[in-house]
Amino acid sequence: MVSARFYRFFNLPIQMSEDLQARLERIWETPKTLWGWLTTVDHKEIGKRYIVTALFFLTLGGLEALVIRLQLATSNRTLIGPQAYTQLFTMHGVTMIFWYASPILSGFANYLIPLMIGSRDMAFPRLNAFSYWSFLLSGAFLHASLLLSQAPHGGWFAYVPYTTAPYSPDYGMDFFALALIFLTVSTTAGAINFIVTIFRLRAPGMTISKMPLFCYSTLTVSLSIVASLPALTVACVFLELDRQWGTHFFDISHGGIALLWQQLFWIFGHPWVYVIFLPATGMISMLLPVFSRRPIVGYPLVAISTVLTGVVGFGVWVHHMFAVGMTDMSMSFFSAASMTISIFSAIQIFAWIGTLWTGRIVPTASFHFALGFLAALVIGGLNGIVTAIIPVDWQVHDTYFVVSHLHYVLAGTNVFPVFAAIYFWLPKMTGRMLNEALGKVSFWFMFIGLNLTFFPMQIAGLMGMPRRVYTYGSGLGLETTNLIATIGAFTMGFGVLLTFWNYFASMRSGEVASANPWGADGLEWSIPSPPPSYAFAHIPTVTSRHPLWDEHNEYDDPGDERVFDSGRQTPVSSALDAVPISLAQMPEDTITPLLLALAMTLFFTALVLKWLAVGIVGLALVAVVAAAWLWPRPVEESFA
Amino acid sequence: MTAAAPALSDQREPRITELPIEAHLGTNGMTLFIATEGFLFVLLFFSYFFLARGSGRWLSEEPPKLGLAFALLAILVLSSVTIAWGERQLKAQRTTYARLSLIATFILGLVFVAVQVQEYREHLRTLTPRTDVYGSIFYTITSFHAAHVGMGLLMLFFVLLIPRYRAPEQLHRSYRNAAMYWHFVDIVWVFVVALLYVLPNIR
Repeated sequence: MVSARFYRFFNLPIQMSEDLQARLERIWETPKTLWGWLTTVDHKEIGKRYIVTALFFLTLGGLEALVIRLQLATSNRTLIGPQAYTQLFTMHGVTMIFWYASPILSGFANYLIPLMIGSRDMAFPRLNAFSYWSFLLSGAFLHASLLLSQAPHGGWFAYVPYTTAPYSPDYGMDFFALALIFLTVSTTAGAINFIVTIFRLRAPGMTISKMPLFCYSTLTVSLSIVASLPALTVACVFLELDRQWGTHFFDISHGGIALLWQQLFWIFGHPWVYVIFLPATGMISMLLPVFSRRPIVGYPLVAISTVLTGVVGFGVWVHHMFAVGMTDMSMSFFSAASMTISIFSAIQIFAWIGTLWTGRIVPTASFHFALGFLAALVIGGLNGIVTAIIPVDWQVHDTYFVVSHLHYVLAGTNVFPVFAAIYFWLPKMTGRMLNEALGKVSFWFMFIGLNLTFFPMQIAGLMGMPRRVYTYGSGLGLETTNLIATIGAFTMGFGVLLTFWNYFASMRSGEVASANPWGADGLEWSIPSPPPSYAFAHIPTVTSRHPLWDEHNEYDDPGDERVFDSGRQTPVSSALDAVPISLAQMPEDTITPLLLALAMTLFFTALVLKWLAVGIVGLALVAVVAAAWLWPRPVEESFA
Repeated sequence: MTAAAPALSDQREPRITELPIEAHLGTNGMTLFIATEGFLFVLLFFSYFFLARGSGRWLSEEPPKLGLAFALLAILVLSSVTIAWGERQLKAQRTTYARLSLIATFILGLVFVAVQVQEYREHLRTLTPRTDVYGSIFYTITSFHAAHVGMGLLMLFFVLLIPRYRAPEQLHRSYRNAAMYWHFVDIVWVFVVALLYVLPNIR
């Protein structure tokens, strides 16, 4: 038999019988009809939807940012009033942080993780579909407030008492609180799904120490979502109860404490920063070695520091609150913890630099974005350390210095890895290559735009320009920096647009992608682009961290033993050493996830309007749909 | 259709074609769901103590009465025992007994709700959620727990509806998961009684 290397060298598909492919296709395919589109539970389909929807929200949030920058381009402008400005920066922050930055990573994880670990779907495919629908509907729910021109206006962290009923009497903050509770349901369901998938569905032989690094980062953030999102839920429940139902959690005249909101919000909020950062570093750890033509330097160190970042990320929330007045002891503790985190990030950065240093670099467009990420992370990380120093933080608190820091770390370390991932993995999803030259042009626009926008903000911040004020007076020396920032924002927006254009052009006339166009090492590159509905005809076996770079043929299966074609099946393994112990019977396509998300939308809408009867009907519908979802179906006897 | 007949040469390892159908993924998911719900209550208790330490208006009236709270605790602990016994019966294939103990658990859950309504009725005479911040957090925590009891009851009811002849292994899975959730609801009440009822009384 010819070795697997031979096939890979000439980029030939692994041999398999037509009959087997047709049989698997019949079991796993979803009909290409409207009903099929609404009922599919295929992780590849759901992953693509997540990515497209999140990019839509990126565009929306980006447009809001551009209006903000237009308003601030020169001093004393009156393009929009203070009211609209407040709503705009709130919607910009909320959209970007909750409906773009985390869902886009969920999208990539959804599409890629089952393929990376050699599984045919996520552990709970229907729950996965529900996560997507409720993500989409909660986003629509939030933006419905714009149509009523009652958008939330409390900033993305919505500090009380400004956001309580006496000071924010319209529906804006109700939409904010309820949309976030709705989104936590979606995100928690997704996180549970990722944890069980990563622990239980890995291909035989893929022990925990051979797992791709992207799985490590997704696993870490999923665990921290399970532990930290309830804080957001509790905070939003308190806010909504205070606003609509007469309780006094934040009402000082009845013994409430406004600081409770800040505590709860940041107990959630700082782990969330890592939720939108760590999976992005995981993607970089996957693609940087491929373009350095060598395995990553220090795999165990990178894996461990990823996990430790997630753990220590729970002990730093108070650094958002250094200005509220606390004991020196507690401030020192949280300051030290915040600086400790930078050690783990530094370990990762040095591992990447080591990989680049000792590798043979292939400067693709994706690689450019990865390097741009590294630069932005170093700048954003360094001014992050500056803000972790308490006396400095007191000076720059609530100025544009903080705005600069958070955008360097969010735009720089989320958007750039995501774009690197788009150039890297999109050919796998669509079967078409993107234009490399256009990609590099897009990168330079975005990278120069990023620095033009956010570097001057540091200077404006140090000069004392406060954030969240709709304009600034002339003659304060702030005009130049602000004008540069506005030009930078449009430059960056143009760069993003070029990549969108690149995608549409590639779909029309792009070069057809082979199974493994980059010569990469992960299992997802061993199957055709785009992958068939069943992903793997033979479930692979794994013996190293780089399945496609070793001598082992993961599909060597002469007896067709790892085909599993009695229904939608995929093997389930033990959590650590990945020994197959059973077969998961995956569900068929079903409409219940969409119905459940719709019933929840009805419930939350009723809560905004205080229609109690409708709310109870919504809850009853949730229970009925959930029962229909979980109702046992007898296992079909024959699929052949 | 299954794959080709296994060759006899490879006797040492269990054959991958003969693996049983998975029964624990749902339990893994339920464990994580309970974990995230547990963190929800941890944060509610955190809020309780945060407000207690810093608030000027805390427990202005006398501390909550212990009688009914302990009665509720006894009911829930008893229901945990019945559902645990039911699980053992199910493992031993005695489906009828399992079903009977499920019904007993369900009824105990309903009794819990009824007694808690009574407890609320007495309590609301002196304290409402709108009285002050103590009332707000007290009723929020106890009614969050009550909502979880309601969800647990719905789960138990759902398991009661599953016909035993149709998918016995599915019945086992659903039974186990619902029982896990019910134990969780029970444990949360232990903490509610200890922190919200007993602690203010011994201070």
